[in-house]
Amino acid sequence: MINKMILANVLHRPVRTAIAILAIAIEVTMVLIVVGLTSGMRNETARRVEGIGADIMVQPAGASMFLGLGSAPMPIKIGEDITRFPHVLAVTPVLIQPSSTGGINLVWGIDMPSWDRVTGGFVYHSGGADRQGCRVDCSFADPYDLIVDDWNAKANRLKVGDTVNLLNHDFRLVGIVEHGKGARMFIPLHTAQDLAASENRATVFWVKCTDPGYTDDVLKSIRDWLPKYQILSVREYYTMMTSNNIPALNAFIAALVGVAVAIGFLVILLTMYTTITERTREIGILKSLGASKRYIINAILREAGLLCAVGITAGCVGTLIARKVLLSSFPTLSVDLTVEWAIRAAVLALLGTLIGAFYPALRAAQLDPVDALSYE
Amino acid sequence: MGFPLSGLRTSHPLAVTALMEAIIQTENLRKIYRVGKVDVHALRGVDLTVQAGEFIAIVGPSGCGKSTLLHILGGLTGPTAGRVLVDGNDFLRMSDADRTRFRRHKIGFVFQRFNLLPTLSARSNIALAQHIQGNGFNPHRFDAVVEALGIREKLDAQPYALSGGEQQRVAIARAVICEPKILLADEPTGNLDTENSQLVLNMMRALNRSFRQTILMITHNPEAAAVADRIVRMRDGRIILE
Repeated sequence: MINKMILANVLHRPVRTAIAILAIAIEVTMVLIVVGLTSGMRNETARRVEGIGADIMVQPAGASMFLGLGSAPMPIKIGEDITRFPHVLAVTPVLIQPSSTGGINLVWGIDMPSWDRVTGGFVYHSGGADRQGCRVDCSFADPYDLIVDDWNAKANRLKVGDTVNLLNHDFRLVGIVEHGKGARMFIPLHTAQDLAASENRATVFWVKCTDPGYTDDVLKSIRDWLPKYQILSVREYYTMMTSNNIPALNAFIAALVGVAVAIGFLVILLTMYTTITERTREIGILKSLGASKRYIINAILREAGLLCAVGITAGCVGTLIARKVLLSSFPTLSVDLTVEWAIRAAVLALLGTLIGAFYPALRAAQLDPVDALSYE
Repeated sequence: MGFPLSGLRTSHPLAVTALMEAIIQTENLRKIYRVGKVDVHALRGVDLTVQAGEFIAIVGPSGCGKSTLLHILGGLTGPTAGRVLVDGNDFLRMSDADRTRFRRHKIGFVFQRFNLLPTLSARSNIALAQHIQGNGFNPHRFDAVVEALGIREKLDAQPYALSGGEQQRVAIARAVICEPKILLADEPTGNLDTENSQLVLNMMRALNRSFRQTILMITHNPEAAAVADRIVRMRDGRIILE
């Protein structure tokens, strides 16, 4: 019976109901997309680092776990010295340059011969055919040659032979490669060093062991030799990036989730407050029939809960649509949606709703029945 | 009159065993409202005794305290002073929650403006009272009341689709569906035309006669008051004539 009354009330004011549901849906969508985007981009970065095929990464002291952000590059000689360590197969230096062309991108300056030894080489979708079997730094015939991965090419509608303005210089696209190896854009290491005025320097060294089983031994040796440097196995880095315990990122997610929940809370508070104001007389009628405070609070919380449930469902559907739109508009983005976060978003929305509805419910329950019955 | 009220069966022990037992007793009942910084003396010492099964009309000019008396007897508001015993319960000593519980099981209200929930059908408005009482839907009682009040054809209609008389009959059905000991009617014919007024009054009279439903009815209408067993006149918060 109480459910019938609640449903009738909800349907009685379709616009207000729709607004409340929309607010909850936006809240849920916002939470899921923000979390999905941050974790998706983070996981995708981790997967690309793992996809390099190296076992160890060497960065200067104070380097960010987000590659290329912060800290001065290291002398390239360090990499040459690491090559001589026991059980080290190859070391490749990379100088990472942020580029603001077409949004914030990271351009990796790579030394193609050592890159090929560590990574096994690129798989070309187009271009690069004439480079088959090349074993010297000839992948880049020209200092201003550029290689991009297939996602970047798709996002920017690029084809081999196109000119791309990067780091205030025109580069010629010479190859489109399979995604998943470090970055999305690659230029010759020397060019990157010239443009960054960092001659003979690198941001990170990727170390390949003769056998992955030697990773810990090599790691220890390098750490002993470079105690102040940030040296991690790629396995450790991957775990860190995918473990949801990155403080700054967690704070960012918490802040945005907090804003989303606050929006839902305020809209429900306002909706239920106007509802009980409008239904003051009806609450008086319920009281005249002997409805207890608990009955009235229960009815209002259930009504808010119904709005919330529909809003959560709409929010989940909205998230799937938003993800599809985002990925078709920005193919380089990655949005990881998980059932765990869908449940968290639903619980947060429900909590915000119940808290938002509780004050109006309490007010309704405390209304004087005589005043409520005479309310016009 | 011919209303088919014989289908209704009361479970009131009072109706059977204590025909002349006082179901309502007030002594020096006072109610003071605070409006801003002014105290309004709505009731100034009301002494009233109502026997179980009585049909009483309370008449008097506007502002004389009739509605306040009804609200206190129905437990909608507490008295300021004096004594009020309803079915043996002293309202002055009862908490708001206790009065609500009492009202749920023992009081039925009928209002001048019908006060049906506008979003629910007539059927749901009636069933809601049973739901709030907590004893669940009783189809036999429901059918008997609906039949008695002649509203079977109107059960699926929303209140706005009903005439005033039909709405008031639905309101009466809602008030009596839980077999209250006391029916309190606040100008039940105030918004009705003569024909519907007479219909509603006849039904209330039938309810009272057929199974000794105690009824207190406020009215301005002398013809309506004439239907009652006894007329109580009020003025300035006091009973001036019984």
